[in-house]
Amino acid sequence: MDVFFEFVVRGLVISSPIAFASLGGVFSEKCGIINIALEGIMLVTTFAIVWGALSTGSFLGGLLFAIIAGVVMAGIHAVVTITFKVDQIVSGVAINLLAVGVGRFLSQNIYGQETQSPFNTFVPPEFLGINIMAWILIPVTALVWFVLFKTKFGLRLRSVGENPEAADTLGINVILMQYSGVLLSGVMCALAATVLFPSQWVTGMTGGRGYIALAAMIFGRWHPVGAVAASLLFGYADTFRVMFERQIPIPAQFVQMLPYVLAVVVLALFVGRAYGPAAVGKPYRKGGE
Amino acid sequence: MATTTSRRETLLRLLSPVIGFFAAIVILLVIVVAVGEGPGAAIRAILRITFGNPSRTATVLSQAIPLYIAGVAVAFAFQAGVFNIGVEGQYFVGGFVAALVGIYLKLPPIIHIPLVVIAAMIGGALWAAVPALLKVGRGVHEVITTIMFNSIAIYLMNFLVNRPFNGLEVGESLEPQTKAIAETALFGRLNGFFQALGWKIGDHVYLDYSLIVALMVGVVVWIVIYKLRFGFEVRSIGEAIDVSRYAGMRVKRVQVSAFLISGGIAGLIGLQEIFAIRGFYTYQIAGGLGFDGIAIALIGLNNPLGIVFSALLFSFLRQAGYGLQLYTSVPNSVSYVITGLMIIIIVVTNELVVRYVRNLRKREVA
Repeated sequence: MDVFFEFVVRGLVISSPIAFASLGGVFSEKCGIINIALEGIMLVTTFAIVWGALSTGSFLGGLLFAIIAGVVMAGIHAVVTITFKVDQIVSGVAINLLAVGVGRFLSQNIYGQETQSPFNTFVPPEFLGINIMAWILIPVTALVWFVLFKTKFGLRLRSVGENPEAADTLGINVILMQYSGVLLSGVMCALAATVLFPSQWVTGMTGGRGYIALAAMIFGRWHPVGAVAASLLFGYADTFRVMFERQIPIPAQFVQMLPYVLAVVVLALFVGRAYGPAAVGKPYRKGGE
Repeated sequence: MATTTSRRETLLRLLSPVIGFFAAIVILLVIVVAVGEGPGAAIRAILRITFGNPSRTATVLSQAIPLYIAGVAVAFAFQAGVFNIGVEGQYFVGGFVAALVGIYLKLPPIIHIPLVVIAAMIGGALWAAVPALLKVGRGVHEVITTIMFNSIAIYLMNFLVNRPFNGLEVGESLEPQTKAIAETALFGRLNGFFQALGWKIGDHVYLDYSLIVALMVGVVVWIVIYKLRFGFEVRSIGEAIDVSRYAGMRVKRVQVSAFLISGGIAGLIGLQEIFAIRGFYTYQIAGGLGFDGIAIALIGLNNPLGIVFSALLFSFLRQAGYGLQLYTSVPNSVSYVITGLMIIIIVVTNELVVRYVRNLRKREVA
């Protein structure tokens, strides 16, 4: 029973950074902007949360820094892809490269070491033995669902991702909606940083979770609940590895590649062409501008 | 009138990488000042590490070799409208397959070395095959599958080098590695050739056979893309996929071919490090070149000739980062910041150019 409880709660902690990031992916893609920059944005928010917490002496200070960092990084993606209508994947790749440098540069200048920060003790409180932000995932998922499907804002956001021309004709501010969606994905990456490992920043610590989150979002068919459920699948597969790696008779490397193989298999088996928002990836040019 | 506009468009498009480069240098100097160093000291440090003596300049060229191959690999896929982010995994696998051929076959060098090159291409292409088939067969976006395949490749190589192909005797170095590659497969150096030409480079610089491989890749890719019918199809699919489909081109087949060729070229990236520098294979060969390749391809406008310049530029910036770290208090990580920003500036400038030209056209019509 103890092992089972441990599996359940540790799995929640391991899953929630992926889940928060996948909600970020949902916000961004629902308004039509592909966001493979999630990985890079998260890389910067994981630094910002430690930086903020250490400099203000409070977890909330860390959260604030992380949200600002997330919004700034997502803001770059927004300006480049929405205002300048540059290829969304190219912009994402550039931001992911930039993010590697930003974290290391800041760490070098603030803490005098390039690859890791000092330890941070101002972390979120625990609830039932784990980081409370992992539990916060549940109400946040419900909130994202509510915002997207039960509010006027959500309806407008989704309509922009499906058919921006029609949305524009109806008087919806397409550009504003797209900016909101992308910036909200930055906020979600900040929440992801609160659970990933707020005690210390280490370079490259996101380890591809941003990409796994995108796979989860696609598997979850761009629906917040689906995306979170898929994130839990990936997260628990990884938890299984973390907890039982030694008992499994196959080489560790094969167990370690499990989440990635799972992501490919899931995408190959369950994804057709037609599920995504219709206008995702296509820059909106008003009046054929 | 129309010709002047299109000529002006070509000219302006060529300008955007130049603008990107100079903007990057300006941003670099701003960061240098922000860190509290003088711009003069920074520029001196950069020039010292890159042009201080012939060996340092040759190092820039040497390090540009894998970057060039990476850029061409990404560019080939880009030309066909395919986004190959899997170059990273493809060169880890390509290098491994090549190393096996280098370790276990016994042949005269004249056959062994070309065989190694072919094996590297086969390995890279194989690793690209699954994402390529998933893209055309199931409509799974190649960006995510190739990223997953990058991680899978690294774990797989970790396993293969640690277990079945572990070449370490007990008590040797701790770095896991394969057996040594046979003498006949090792890449010799061309330093003597350059020294004979009067370029006074040191013997420690690696200007090896991989330079020849890179040159051949460049020439062949240029011919394929700009002179062959297949290349014409690749380019037209990259530019307008729907039009190409209506024109009767077999889009899927061409895209899969381009993806596999891109993977095959990618397989060659690690040859310099494995066959000239280390002499064995390990999964700890330098990573990240696949991502650099994306930037290099974009800056070089996906043209094998343009990529010569962008790879040299990239290598220059990397060395500049080391120079700054060595001679000033600016950390090396600044070169990643600059790379990311440079891509963004180039693509944004390019977009602004396109808009400007479109406006010119409208005015022409009116």
